[in-house]
Amino acid sequence: MLITGVGSHVGTLLAARLEEDREVEHIVGIDTRLPARTLSRTEWIDADVRDPELAELVPRAEPDTVVHNQIVRQPGPSMSARAMHDINVIGSLQLLAACERAPSIQTIVVRGSAGIYGSEPHAPQFFGEEMTRLFPLRTRFQRDVAEIETYFETYARRHPGVCCTMLRYQPAIGPSLDTQVTRYLSQPVCPTFLGFDPRIQLVHEDDALEALVAAVRNPVPGPVNVAGEGTIGLARMIRLAGRAALPLVSPLFGPLSTAGRRLGLTRLSDDFSRLLRYGRGVDTGRLAQEVGFHARHSTVAAVQAWAA
Amino acid sequence: MNGGDHAIAFMRRLREGLESDLDLPDAVLRGAATLPRDARETAERLIGRLAGEYEEDEWGFDEEFADLVEPLFAFLYDTWWRVGVEGAELVPAHGRALLTANHAGILPWDATMIGMALLREHPLPRHPRFLVLNWAFDLPWISTAIRRLGGVAASPYNAMRLLEEDKLVAVFPEGVKGTAKPYAERYRLQRFGRGGFVEIALRTGAPIVPVAVVGSEEIYPKLADVPPLARMIGAPFFPVTPTFPWLGPLGAVPLPSRWRIEFLEPIETASHGPDAAADRALVLELSERVRAAVQEALLRNLVRRGSAFV
Repeated sequence: MLITGVGSHVGTLLAARLEEDREVEHIVGIDTRLPARTLSRTEWIDADVRDPELAELVPRAEPDTVVHNQIVRQPGPSMSARAMHDINVIGSLQLLAACERAPSIQTIVVRGSAGIYGSEPHAPQFFGEEMTRLFPLRTRFQRDVAEIETYFETYARRHPGVCCTMLRYQPAIGPSLDTQVTRYLSQPVCPTFLGFDPRIQLVHEDDALEALVAAVRNPVPGPVNVAGEGTIGLARMIRLAGRAALPLVSPLFGPLSTAGRRLGLTRLSDDFSRLLRYGRGVDTGRLAQEVGFHARHSTVAAVQAWAA
Repeated sequence: MNGGDHAIAFMRRLREGLESDLDLPDAVLRGAATLPRDARETAERLIGRLAGEYEEDEWGFDEEFADLVEPLFAFLYDTWWRVGVEGAELVPAHGRALLTANHAGILPWDATMIGMALLREHPLPRHPRFLVLNWAFDLPWISTAIRRLGGVAASPYNAMRLLEEDKLVAVFPEGVKGTAKPYAERYRLQRFGRGGFVEIALRTGAPIVPVAVVGSEEIYPKLADVPPLARMIGAPFFPVTPTFPWLGPLGAVPLPSRWRIEFLEPIETASHGPDAAADRALVLELSERVRAAVQEALLRNLVRRGSAFV
């Protein structure tokens, strides 16, 4: 078993969960960050997914399952958009190049993003897995995710014996997470688009982890949406979080939120801005029926749990 | 107490509350105790909404919001448009069904009035979900209100999913051709697209209920179109009516025409089976049958209605 991005919150918890499983013989975790808590059976290797060294490391570990958990969803204070693109695209490319040399691999599970669908005014209320090509790719992150998915699709086609699961996660929320959503809801005021109240769909951090575990145990080929049940209107989400909305007229949203950054408000990526305007919902039928996983928290419950 | 006394008592309690350092919502609640029960319940619900205490289903439909704005629609229904309804009982009381109506009037007022007609006249009323022209979802406020009232973007995926959930769905197959037609062509039905609504009905086995709406085509008499302006704001057309754009936002106030809504005998589709959706000949034939039924009912009701405005 090989896990990239093992130093992230979900990555560490995933390793800890798999350690409990006696059938998992050996776990190798790759990350430049140390795992957030001590792991007993996991071998931590200090390496970067962008590193060509991966081509040696992966075959040597002889993994039967690779979990790619090193996809950065939002540029943080310490990470530029450029670095994020490098990690996501070049990292995936390097990892797959390394996987080519490791014939032991039977399963690859990627913690990808539902950001590939984008946020569109005319979108179906629930994106099914086959609906990625309904709209043009508008943001950098969206193009990156699409590129990553193409790499994995190509790999899966070249290796029919390998089961390649692409999990498309809606944004995650939870008390121990630091994501764009939690940062957004932690601000004193939350900028919104005046007159827009989009439907937002989230996944609770526990479900984000459990869905990953479920997919490792029962991988299915192709993309699978991961989200909590139902959606929540942005206005209601902000109210449940006990925050105040700051409605801005659309043409001024970009400039004003940039100005807000100087005042200590969180930076909103293009993707997130579009999400705040148009929202996004996905269909989770495949996750329930084929992977056999049901999220324990609905979207509303996830927001309530975070606000509590 | 009459209305004025209520208002004074309410303001007095509100001021007392604020002076004793209560938060605004608490003070309003306290003041609301003096109001008659209906008004008090409305006030309490509004306060609850401010705290996020309301429910939306996964489609974004907010039944409480629909109830809160019902008085506005009731006013339009009874007084402004004096809607007359026929055949509401023909709409299935449960299970999936596809209401198929003629479309006019730029904003989906016709959909809201079809909903009101069912709430008033149907023995077992339910809120229909309606498919709305795509560009409405790029407009502030309007997009939000439409979503909360049960509108969704006109995507076949949405229609299929709603019908699979056994909802009552209203579609307007004329689409933008219906809303964009000039006043002189009112009540002349446009082409019903490529019959996509029939395919959806066949695939889901939902009966098609043709609906004729008379009156909606006079509320915004479109005299001209200004394509360059439409391109500028990203709309499919830019209407010029006697009041718009001359009166600004007031130009969006619809004219008080007299309305009639007639629901027609449902056309059953389940017996063809879901595979029949691929049968172009059948799809076009059914589409034409629905169109003819709506057109005929339109003409019949136009005659019955008589004068458009008085």
